[in-house]
Amino acid sequence: MAKHSIMVIDDEKIVGDMAKLSFEQDGYEVETFLNGESALARLVEKPFDVVITDLKMKGVDGLEVLRTVKKLYPGIKVIMITAFANLDVAIEALRDDVHDFFPKPVKIKELKASVKRALGEE
Amino acid sequence: MTGSLFQRFKGIVRGRQNRGPDLTTRFKAFQAMLDGNNRTLEAMTEMGEKLGGDYLFDVNYIRSAYARILAAISDSLDNFTQLTDNHYPQLVEILGRIDSLVQRMLTSDGSISNRLVVFYPEITWDLAEEVGGKNYHLAELANTLQLRVPEAFAITTAAFTTFLRHNDLEKRLAGLGKADSTTLTQLRNAILSGGFPEDFTTALNTALEKMRSRLGKNGTLSVRSSAEEEDGDFSFAGQFETVLNVPCTSKAVQAAYKEVVASLFQAGATSYQQQLGYDLGKLKMAVGCVAMVEAKASGVIYTAAAGKDRSHMAISAAWGLGKGVVDGLTDADLYTVSKGEKLQLVDHRIGGKARMVVNLGTSGIETQETPTELRPLACLSETEVLKLARLALAIEEYYRNPQDIEWAMDNNGRFFLLQARALQMDEPENEETSQNQEAAAGYPVLLRDQGVVVQRGATAGKVFILHHIDELEKIPKGSILVASHDSPHFVQAIPLLHAIITDVGVPTSHMASICREFNIPTVVNTGQATTVLTHGQDITLQAREGSEFVVYAGIVQNLLREERQGAAKIRELYEFRQQKYIMRHIAPLHLVNPLEQEFSEEKCRTVHDLIRFMHEKAMQALVAYAGTQGRGLTRFFGGKSALHRLTLPIPVQLLLIDLGGGLQDTASKKEVDFTQVGSAPLRAVLAGMLFPGIWQKEGVALQGRDLLSGMTRAADLTGGGDGLAGYNVALASREYVNMSLRFGYHFNMLDSYCSDKPRNNHIYFRFVGGAAAITNRSRRIALMTQVLAEHGFALKAKGDLLVGRLSGLSRQEIEGILEQMGRLIGYTRQLDARLDSDEMVSILAHRFLEGNYRLDP
Repeated sequence: MAKHSIMVIDDEKIVGDMAKLSFEQDGYEVETFLNGESALARLVEKPFDVVITDLKMKGVDGLEVLRTVKKLYPGIKVIMITAFANLDVAIEALRDDVHDFFPKPVKIKELKASVKRALGEE
Repeated sequence: MTGSLFQRFKGIVRGRQNRGPDLTTRFKAFQAMLDGNNRTLEAMTEMGEKLGGDYLFDVNYIRSAYARILAAISDSLDNFTQLTDNHYPQLVEILGRIDSLVQRMLTSDGSISNRLVVFYPEITWDLAEEVGGKNYHLAELANTLQLRVPEAFAITTAAFTTFLRHNDLEKRLAGLGKADSTTLTQLRNAILSGGFPEDFTTALNTALEKMRSRLGKNGTLSVRSSAEEEDGDFSFAGQFETVLNVPCTSKAVQAAYKEVVASLFQAGATSYQQQLGYDLGKLKMAVGCVAMVEAKASGVIYTAAAGKDRSHMAISAAWGLGKGVVDGLTDADLYTVSKGEKLQLVDHRIGGKARMVVNLGTSGIETQETPTELRPLACLSETEVLKLARLALAIEEYYRNPQDIEWAMDNNGRFFLLQARALQMDEPENEETSQNQEAAAGYPVLLRDQGVVVQRGATAGKVFILHHIDELEKIPKGSILVASHDSPHFVQAIPLLHAIITDVGVPTSHMASICREFNIPTVVNTGQATTVLTHGQDITLQAREGSEFVVYAGIVQNLLREERQGAAKIRELYEFRQQKYIMRHIAPLHLVNPLEQEFSEEKCRTVHDLIRFMHEKAMQALVAYAGTQGRGLTRFFGGKSALHRLTLPIPVQLLLIDLGGGLQDTASKKEVDFTQVGSAPLRAVLAGMLFPGIWQKEGVALQGRDLLSGMTRAADLTGGGDGLAGYNVALASREYVNMSLRFGYHFNMLDSYCSDKPRNNHIYFRFVGGAAAITNRSRRIALMTQVLAEHGFALKAKGDLLVGRLSGLSRQEIEGILEQMGRLIGYTRQLDARLDSDEMVSILAHRFLEGNYRLDP
């Protein structure tokens, strides 16, 4: 079976690096991006199975990533992580069909469980 | 915490004129300080947990978590200052230094001091990053432990930066990424032909002049790397160049400096950096210039023997300079010393020592054949071995973990320490592979038990017999490297290797350190691997401990444990470590024993040290105040003193400060006993501590000294001032107690309010430290966690720190739990030394909850 692919977008390198290591250990294919623009450009070329994105980023932010993903590929699940947990934003994201919403720091185990649910594996 | 108590005190002492704050104000400040300390510890614990590798976090999180810690500790410090009449003004300055170090890490700013050259005696803890790990540790041995280290100075990372800038190399390094070998060669050449900025040369000349005046004109230096993280979590053992016998001239030292710096970009070192997740060009290198010792003999000490034997240490020794031993060039003498009650030489093996590295004065060094008559002679006498072992033990005790130490002995028999770093140990694991004799049935045994296991593990692969170092580039992935000698050069191939087996070698070489670090099963000194094994042959290696290993022909699937986890571990990410290192300025506790001289204001280096120091001194201040100036309060309580000594039928003596109702009215003497205690929560805890069978009488296998310090002591009440250090204090009123108990190296703090109003009631408990190995200490924490969780505590644990809180229960419930905690405090006093396995934790926790206090397995 082909590996499931995950896209991780966060403007801090450490978040992407940690996520990449953790998910690769479980056999996923992971690509990381430091901003929304480059991630969206890549998405046009390749539909990932799951997108994990930071909310607050310069330029294209997490909400915009979410909307674009849903427009391009309504089936792809998007998981949002943010340091600035804010109810209004969470509601807005939910309205746009976000799969999950985590405040940072997020437990890697929980994130993995969420990805599994997104893939219908659990 | 105890608002109602404050209110009462306010009423009591209001209006009384006294010099400085009165007892009410001081007590209130004490409470507020405790509250600040508790908040700091909780924030610290939480941050430690989030940064432990199980969470995704970003820099914002670190900033906000650190801000919480800083705010809480600042509160504590304000209150402490008030409580102690500003008796410890340095603490504010120390917190400022810690803060600037952390801020610097958060903003990744450059150096703080900008000094280019620093002599070892001037190296203080906040210079650790600028002088690099290796310089820092060696200086610490001389400055703190007063051990003999050669004259030396460090050329800092600030100097490194000016050197790069002067030669326009900064940008080239920034864009280096994963460079190919041509680019790396060009870079090395650029460094080697580089020039020096004027301030660098000036600083170096001044230092060398000083060196010449101390060493005489023939004195020479060893110029060695001391990269930022070197000898920290990762050893970089043997990865960078060391230039020996460098004359004390500017020209010679500058040439050597460039060689050392250029070695950042040599093949082995770059692959090591990449494996650790460094982007090439990011690592900053400080350099050490250490006076050469005229070494008669040299070697290495592991304060824990190969495998995981912490009860023995291993000392290797060879004639001449230590290079022979660490590079694995020679078959060294090996001495085994047992660390029990008394140091004892229990085993020695005289090595062949066919070759030795000699010092040719200003013309460098040379590897020579050892004179035949010297070869069979032991390099060290028994007395010398034991002398060395004592030094090593002092270092291990100071760092509180096993050490890898380089030493040299001069012609006068004086020992010099050349390096000390944490020994990479694989944690003891369960023997899942050991009894699998049958698993390998039918496979021919090629080699067995003739050699020394450096790193245990079971693995399989094709034999690659190495004849020349150049062939390292050709090794296919998954090979087992078989060579005549060990060599630190092998590291460049480590990502490709499944195992290493050599004919000659010692478990104390650089290569050995790296194999342990990367968990590569390795056996050295087999004497015959290159002749018995054939190139391209499939073999399976099962390496256990000591000399126990087997090489089978063929691939023995059943023996193979899961594939090595690979280098893909989060803790190996560069950015991750950088963030985690912030914790170094926060969490470690250096001030353990208040009875030691080290327990002083100026020795505080971390936030945790500050907390510990303030707690101890605050109690002393309260006790001193209650004993000498609290007469107003004494008068109020019917002419009784507020300070009492509580004598108990167990070896714990407590000073009790009676805040009102802490003792029964009948108690008027300075000496009181358990029956006179009026404080409900204190009575409950003491009842638990005095419960029959709780106070284990027989000694546990700790060192004699620990047992002595494990006895708790109460101070002489008449002593005042300095005599007040390190004893146990309870502040008690009818419904409140705050007690601090120290047993040897661990510390309990319990704060409880216990009244008829459940919503006011609470228990706060904190436990930290211990003398045994960290594994055992964290097992003790695990046991306490299991027990306290049963009682409904909210708990946070990290390493050997445990914080628990519980509130809102009725008086009866609180009393019942306090009684259990008293039992737990007594029970766990020396428990860490007994917790040899994780199973014991559950067994003993269950027993404890059932009221069974037996400690046998």
